[in-house]
Amino acid sequence: MKKGKKITTKILGIATIPTVTFIIMIILCAVNGVKLFETTGNWIAFFRAVTSVMLTTFALSINLNSGRFDFSIGSISLLSSIISSTICIKAGLTTPFMLSVSLISGIVLGALSGLVYVLIKLPPIIVSLGIALFYEGLSFAITNGYGVSFVANAELISFPSVAHYLEVIIIALCVIIILFDYTRFGYNYRALLSGQKVSVNMGIKEIPNAIGCYAIAGGLMGIVGFISATNTGNIQMALNFGSIGVMFTAFLPMFIGGFIGRFCNERIGYVLGAVTTALISLMYARLDVDSSVQQIVTALILVGFLIYLNNENKLKVLLIGKRGLHK
Amino acid sequence: MKKVLALMLCFALTIGCLTGCGKAPAGEEAPAEGQNETTEEQEGAQAPENEDPGVELDMSKTVKIGVLVSDSTTAESLAFQSYYKDYIASNYNVELVYSDELTDAAGEKSAIDTFITNNCKAVISFSSFDRMAQLEQCAGAGIYYAVATGTLTDDEYAQVKDNEYYVGAIGPSLEIEFQTGYDMAKYYLDQGKTRFAIFGGAIPYYTEMHIYRAAGMLTAMVEAGGGDYQGASDKDAIIGKLFETASIETGSIGSVEILGYVGGYDMDDAWFAKCGQMAQTEGLEVILAVGNGSDFFGSSIAGTDVKIASVDAYATAYGEAMEGGMLDYLAGKFSASIGPIFIATYSATLGAPIRTEDGCALALSQGYWVATSAEQFNEFYAVDSSTEAPAYTKNMLDTLLGTDYATFEAFVSKYSFEEIQTMQ
Amino acid sequence: MMRKQNFKQQVINLTPFMGLLLLFAVFMVLGTIKDINVAYGMKTIVNQSIVVAIIATGAVFIYTLGSFDISLGASAAVSALTGGMAYNATGNLFVAFLVCIGLAVMISLFNSILASVFNLPVFVTTIAMLSVLNALVLVLIRLNGTGDEIAVPSAAVKPLDTIGFKLVVLIVYWCLCAFVFCFTKIGRKQKLLGGNPICAKLTGISDKKMAIIAFAMAGIGVGLGAFVSIVYAPTLTRNTASSVGMDVIIAIVFGGMPVSGGARSKIQSAVIGAFSMTFLSQIMTILNLNSGIGQMVKAAIFLLVVFVATFNQRNKMLPR
Repeated sequence: MKKGKKITTKILGIATIPTVTFIIMIILCAVNGVKLFETTGNWIAFFRAVTSVMLTTFALSINLNSGRFDFSIGSISLLSSIISSTICIKAGLTTPFMLSVSLISGIVLGALSGLVYVLIKLPPIIVSLGIALFYEGLSFAITNGYGVSFVANAELISFPSVAHYLEVIIIALCVIIILFDYTRFGYNYRALLSGQKVSVNMGIKEIPNAIGCYAIAGGLMGIVGFISATNTGNIQMALNFGSIGVMFTAFLPMFIGGFIGRFCNERIGYVLGAVTTALISLMYARLDVDSSVQQIVTALILVGFLIYLNNENKLKVLLIGKRGLHK
Repeated sequence: MKKVLALMLCFALTIGCLTGCGKAPAGEEAPAEGQNETTEEQEGAQAPENEDPGVELDMSKTVKIGVLVSDSTTAESLAFQSYYKDYIASNYNVELVYSDELTDAAGEKSAIDTFITNNCKAVISFSSFDRMAQLEQCAGAGIYYAVATGTLTDDEYAQVKDNEYYVGAIGPSLEIEFQTGYDMAKYYLDQGKTRFAIFGGAIPYYTEMHIYRAAGMLTAMVEAGGGDYQGASDKDAIIGKLFETASIETGSIGSVEILGYVGGYDMDDAWFAKCGQMAQTEGLEVILAVGNGSDFFGSSIAGTDVKIASVDAYATAYGEAMEGGMLDYLAGKFSASIGPIFIATYSATLGAPIRTEDGCALALSQGYWVATSAEQFNEFYAVDSSTEAPAYTKNMLDTLLGTDYATFEAFVSKYSFEEIQTMQ
Repeated sequence: MMRKQNFKQQVINLTPFMGLLLLFAVFMVLGTIKDINVAYGMKTIVNQSIVVAIIATGAVFIYTLGSFDISLGASAAVSALTGGMAYNATGNLFVAFLVCIGLAVMISLFNSILASVFNLPVFVTTIAMLSVLNALVLVLIRLNGTGDEIAVPSAAVKPLDTIGFKLVVLIVYWCLCAFVFCFTKIGRKQKLLGGNPICAKLTGISDKKMAIIAFAMAGIGVGLGAFVSIVYAPTLTRNTASSVGMDVIIAIVFGGMPVSGGARSKIQSAVIGAFSMTFLSQIMTILNLNSGIGQMVKAAIFLLVVFVATFNQRNKMLPR
C-alpha cells in the first residue's frame, strides 16, 4: 500500500508540471481558436526547442551545481558551430560530420576554458567572462564578421526533423546519465559537489574533474551550436557578450528539473523542464505573443516557481497547518 | 586604503590638469562656432571662405576620417567596410578610424569624442540614433560631418543645410525606400501572385526605412487587390497606420492575401517557431522581407515553390541562396555607393567642399540594384566585391574631387548598374 | 621576512591601480606617437567612464555581500527612459533627476526585498528582473508614442553636459559610498557578512537588512548613472545603457574587487576598473584593431590584470 502510494507520488511529482503546462497551453490556444500542434513545422519547432534547451540546461547545470558560474557557454556554442560549418562547407562533408566536428570543437573549447580556470585559479565567473569575450572575438576574426551561411546547402540544412531531434535527446540523456551516475568521474563529481574540501583531502583529483566538466559542458554546447546553425542555415555573429543570452534560457528548466529531480533522476527532470519551456515557447509562437509580454510572463513564471521552491514548507503550513505537515 | 586614496587623488589631479589645460579643441565647452579654439591640426579642417573647385588639392598629408559603424555583422555593413578598407584606404591618403558597433545615441556621441581625440578631420556616419546631435557635436569641434546610406528628413535638412560643417547625405531617401518595397511587391503581383507573407524586420522598433518599405509593399497590394489595408488605401494613410501599430495585420486586401507576418529580431525559440510556421503556411506564394529574408526563412522553404524577396546588399551568401532557390529577388545596396559621400567629405577636409548652387549641403538620393536571377546577381556581385575595379573606381571618383554641384549630382544620380558601367 | 611579505602584499593590492597607470602611460605614449589630442582624450575618457564608474561604485556594496546583480544596466535604462518622460511631461530637469533616483532605488529595493522576503537567490531574482526591465523598456517607448525614442531636448540638458558636473556627481557619490563603506558600521558589517555569513549572523548582523542597504546604495548609483546618461545623450532608445550591465561587472572585477566579496572588497575598485577599461578601449582605437581581434586582446588583458591583482588570494582548492 505504502509502495503504491510512493509510486503515485513519484508519478505525480514527475508528470504534474509538464502535464499541467501542456493542458494550460492547449486551453490558451483553444480559447484563441488555434491548435498548439497543427503542422509538422510546429512539431519540429517544439522538438528543436526541447533539444537545445535541454542541452543548454545540462551544460549550465554541470558547472553551476558545483558553484561554477559559466558565462562562456553561449560563445562556445557560437565558435564550435563556426568551426564545424566552415570545415564541412570547405571539405564538402555531410551533416553527421558537422555534428561530430561541432561536438569535438565544443569539447576542446570547453576543456580549454576549464584549463584556463584551473591554471589561473580565478573565480569561474571571471574566467568565463574573459573566455566569452575571447571566443566571441575569435569567431568574429575567423569569419571577418560575416558569420557563416550555408542556407543553400541542402545536405546541411536537412537535419531539422522530429526523429533527428529525438535521437539527439535520447543519446545525450543516456550519455549524461552514464557519465554522471555510473562512472568514477561522476562519483568524484558528486563528491566534490557535496563537499569540496573533504573530497580534495580524501584524494579526489579536483583539477581533472573540473576540466572534464568544462569539456562535457562544451561538447553539449557544441551540439546546441550545430542545432541552431542547421535550423536556419546561417550563423550570426555576436560581440560584447552578445552570446550570453543563450544561458538565460536554461534557468527556468533547471529549476523545474531540480524540483522534478526529487522524484526521479535529476537529468530526466531537466528534460521535462525543457519540455515545459518548449511548450510555453510554442504557445507564444502560435498565439503570436508580443516579445515584451513573453519576457515578462517567463520572468514571472521563473520568480513564481522559485518562490514556491524556497517557501514550500511555509506554504504547506499556510495551506494545511503545522499538524498536517508533521503527519 | 590611505595609500590607494592618495594615489587616486594624484591620478585625478593628473587627469584634471590634462583636461583643464593644454591644447583644448572646440569640444563640449567650446563656443558653438568652434573656430576660435580649434587646434593647429584642426585648422586645416576649417571651411575656407573662397573655395575654387579648379584649384589643385594638396593631398600630401594623411587625413583621418572617423566612421560611425551601426552594425559590425550584417552583409551590408561589412560590404561597406570592405569597400572603404580594401579600396578607398589604399587609393587615397586617408586613415579611416572605425567605431565599435553602435547601439544608441550615447554610443554615437562617445565614438565621435574618440574621433575628435584621434584628430579626425571628418566623420562619416552610418549610424542614425541621433543624427542632429552627431552633427552638432562635430560642428562644435570644427570637423566635417556626412551621412552615408541615408538621408535626413526635410525638416532636419532645413535646419542644418547651411551649417558649413555639414557635408550632406547620400543614400536611399524614404521615398526610395517606399518605392523599393512597392517595386518588390509589384514584381510578384504582376506575375499573378496573390498570397503573401511579410517579414517586417525592425518595424516593431519603429525603424523608418523598414516601415516605408513595408508601406510600399502594402500600397502595391492595395492597388492590385482593389481593397484597402485596415481602412487605409493611400500611401500616407498606410504609412500612418504602420507607425500607429508598429506591426502588419494579416488578412485580405481585396483579392490579395497577407497570410503571415513576423517582425523583430528576437532570435529565440518562439521567434524561430513563428518564422518556421509563417514560411510553411499553406498556399503561401511569396515572402516579402523588408530586410534580409533568406537567412531566416530560406531553410524553411527549401524544396517548395515559395519565393523569397529581400532588401540588403550584395554578399556571397545571397548569391548561393539565389542559386539554391532560397532567394528570388534582391534589392541590394552596392558597396561602392558610399564612394561619392567619401569624396565629398574628403574634398571638404582638403578645403574644397562641394555645396549646392545656394551654398547648401548635399541631399542626394541613391537607390538599389535589383537582381532577379542568379546570373544577374553574379554579374552585379563580381563588380561590387572587386577590390581592383569596383563599381566606383578611383579614376571615376577623382573626377568629383572639388567639383561643382551639377557634376557631382549628375554622377550620383546615375546609380543603376548599367549607367555605372557606361560611365566606366 | 614579515616586512618583505607586507611589501609583496602591498604591491599586489596596488596592481589594479598600477594597471590603470600603465594603461594611462600607454595611452599617452601611443597618443604622442600617433599625434592624438591628449587633452580632449582625457575629457573623452571621463565622459566614457563616468556612467559605469558611478553605477559600479554603488554595486560594490552588492558585491561585498558576495551577491551579484545582472540587472543594473536594464534598471538604468528604465530609470533614464522614465526620467526622460518625466522631463517631457513637466519641463523640469530636477523632477527628471528625482524620478531617475527614485525609480532606480525602488527597482533595487524591489529586487532585494523580493529576494529577502521569499528567500530567493539574489542572482536569479536579478536575472528575472533583467527580463522584466528589458520588456519594460519597450513598453515605455511604445507608451510614449514618439516612434522609437524618448528624447529630451538637448538644449535642456546642455548646461549640465560638462566634465565638471559629471565629475562632481561621481566624486560626491563616491565620497558618500566611501564614507559608508570605510567609516561606518554598515561597511564593516557588509564585509563580514560577505566574508563569513555564518559568523556574521551569529554576531547578530541581519543579512536581510544589510542586503536592503546594499541594494539601496546601488540604486542611488543607478539613478545617478541614468541621469548622467540623459545629460550626455538625451535621445533615449531601446538600447540605452544596454551594455552598462556587463560593463559594470567587468569594471568591478578589473578594479581588483573579489567577486566573493568580504574583507578584501574595495570601494575604489569600481572607479579604477571603469577608467582602466576605457583607457584600454581608447588604446584599441588608436591601434585601429578590428572588432574581433580587439575583443580578444581585451579579454586577455582583462584576465591578466585580474590574475595579477588577485595573486595573493589563491589557495589549494579551485575557487568557486
